[in-house]
Amino acid sequence: MSVSASVDLKLDWDIQEDPVKLVPFEERITKGELVEPDDWMPHNYRVGMLRMAEHHANSEIVGALPEGEWITRAPTLRRKLALIAKVQDEVGHGQMLYRVSQDLGKPRDQMLRDLITGKTKYHNVFNYPAPTWADVVMIQWLVDGAAIMNQATLADGSYGPYVRTMKRINMEEAFHFKSGEDMVLTMMSGTPKQKQMAQEAFDRWWAPCLMFFGPLDKESVKTSPFMRWRIKTATNDDLRQRFVDRFAPAALDLGLKIHITVKDQDGMVTEKREDTEIRRNEKTGYWHFSQPDWNEFHRVVKGNGPLNKKRVALRRFSYEQGQWVRRAIVGGSDLPPLC
Amino acid sequence: MDKLPNELKQPLVELLLSVADDKFILGHRNADWTGLAPILEEDIAFSSLSQDEISHAIAIYQIAAGLVGSTADKLAYARKPDEYLCAELVELSDEFNWAIAVCRNFFCDHHDYLRLGRLAHSSYVPLAQLAGRLVAEEQIHVQHVDMLLKRLGHGDTESRERMQSALDRLAPLATGLLEPTQGIELLEAKGVYPRIEPAMFERWTEDLRHVAEASELKLQLQAPRAEAIGGRRGRHSDAFASLLDELTEVYRLEPEAAW
Amino acid sequence: MSRLRDHLPLPAEGALISPPEGDATPFEVFIQLLRGKPHVHAGTVDAVDSEMALQFAREHYGQDQACVHIWVVPRSAMLGTDYEHDVIWRSTDRSYKLARGYQVHNRWRQFRSKEDVKEYEKEDLKEHY
Ligand SMILES: [Fe+2]
Ligand SMILES: [Fe+2]
Repeated sequence: MSVSASVDLKLDWDIQEDPVKLVPFEERITKGELVEPDDWMPHNYRVGMLRMAEHHANSEIVGALPEGEWITRAPTLRRKLALIAKVQDEVGHGQMLYRVSQDLGKPRDQMLRDLITGKTKYHNVFNYPAPTWADVVMIQWLVDGAAIMNQATLADGSYGPYVRTMKRINMEEAFHFKSGEDMVLTMMSGTPKQKQMAQEAFDRWWAPCLMFFGPLDKESVKTSPFMRWRIKTATNDDLRQRFVDRFAPAALDLGLKIHITVKDQDGMVTEKREDTEIRRNEKTGYWHFSQPDWNEFHRVVKGNGPLNKKRVALRRFSYEQGQWVRRAIVGGSDLPPLC
Repeated sequence: MDKLPNELKQPLVELLLSVADDKFILGHRNADWTGLAPILEEDIAFSSLSQDEISHAIAIYQIAAGLVGSTADKLAYARKPDEYLCAELVELSDEFNWAIAVCRNFFCDHHDYLRLGRLAHSSYVPLAQLAGRLVAEEQIHVQHVDMLLKRLGHGDTESRERMQSALDRLAPLATGLLEPTQGIELLEAKGVYPRIEPAMFERWTEDLRHVAEASELKLQLQAPRAEAIGGRRGRHSDAFASLLDELTEVYRLEPEAAW
Repeated sequence: MSRLRDHLPLPAEGALISPPEGDATPFEVFIQLLRGKPHVHAGTVDAVDSEMALQFAREHYGQDQACVHIWVVPRSAMLGTDYEHDVIWRSTDRSYKLARGYQVHNRWRQFRSKEDVKEYEKEDLKEHY
């Protein structure tokens, strides 16, 4: 169960891998066999996998923050319990994915430190605000819905520990999603005020969810080594289309309107108009939709989204306030041994 | 007994509310740590325990609700501040200070363990059955918080100092947990809330001191003054009104609506 | 947002002053979902010792579904084979040691009626074929 002692954690496409090892490795992947931690793997496979698992882990624990804010205010006992359990699950996902990454060669502590000093990133979608309870509803319905679509394809990847973790995680995501559906159905069967809250939250989350799957595909994507090695198994555009095909008609049937929005710096909607592109193509069965504002996407990725600073700061607060605890429990004690 | 004599109803409702309110508010406070605790694995564990507190509260609210013709949700969300019977210890904000959070749970979990143990022998059968199950789960909390106390008490110099000062700060408040609810003597006399020997305060301090000593921490507890009036009579700290305001913020938007 | 979270004194940005902390050690977690069923590997927790690992495991992997028993094992105490170099199952014909290596149904039929063979085979451990 060892890990090659020192891994240089940078991608390096100039590396010449030993063909005697590379060929059977790639054959195994083509056959659909999974790679296990002790197997030989190309340097860039290890680094690519580590980066993906680390980014995913970061996203889980930062993803616990927007909804975590609402635990203290959940409106019923059952919703309160479900929300605590949901946010707890996200922390658990983070723990499991950090573990996968640790076994690829990077200590958890290092990953947490890189996250809170901005050296590594987490998913963009968590840089948007959740100003009302209805945002919790939309996050669980749409964002967890999008995450499930993404993670279902990742569960079809090639790295054994990651694939197994994905399957475990998806079991819990299924609960998050059903709870989200239950809440959105409740809100949309509720009072005019509740419906309005839901619509406004939907307007805040629709575009971030379209961006959830990443930028428009470049031609190179389909032939990239990460696709060939099945670290990535679906393209951004494919996933996005599947998301729209599933959620646009469901939203319309619920009585929600799909808007193109303009937002201020804080991520609050300042202008909106109906997305007139939304319709089903009867020939292909696919739904048309307007692309989100990709300039905004790049702005947020660069760290200038509504809440990038605040999210990282809260994670950092958590890390720093917990230091004395970890020092006492994990670090060596300066006290004489207990008799 | 399966049916409760009328004169015991009001005292029992107050006792049940005091237990459930303690658990509900403690769980509410603790759950705010979800995602922010010092170690990921402990974050998950601590969140799990806070879900227990709220789940226990719900089960006890349900019995109380049956007696007064209400629902668990109404009891949790729709009372006036002075109708809650929780102790001041659970109301306090821990300000995300882990030492305070652990020490608060240390006092509360040991107390709940004894309280539920007594209720598990209640002559009121539905309550005894419920408490019998809950006390087994409460033991998990005691075990967990004892582990934390020991490891932090005997961690390093800094952690010991932090834990000691948290214990010292909370100890005077903690005894408020033992403030009797109204009519408790009647419940004790009828075996609805059976007495134990030695009495509650002695048992509780004995349990706490035992663990504190093993953690190399000092613990001073003064027996509560009989005439002290606090949370069990609906008298709360200033922090409590704002806590309730936050807790019911969404609920109050549309109190009659389903959420 | 949670009022307490909203009013936190947020830390400064920039490099961390504190030194890296290092990780605790991994413990493998095995859960048993029902008495009588086998324990299965559920995942890993990082902890300082087995007692702590067990506390963590029961609140993490023990809470995903009904669970009755948990084992934790320090990873350092486990020894495993090597996919590449350790052959475990042999490549030569092993059907001689498996029930499915023996096709007797049709041969019985040469001696006995269909009904008799059917009656006789009722006691077979079919799940092992
Ligand atoms: Fe997740
Ligand atoms: Fe989720």
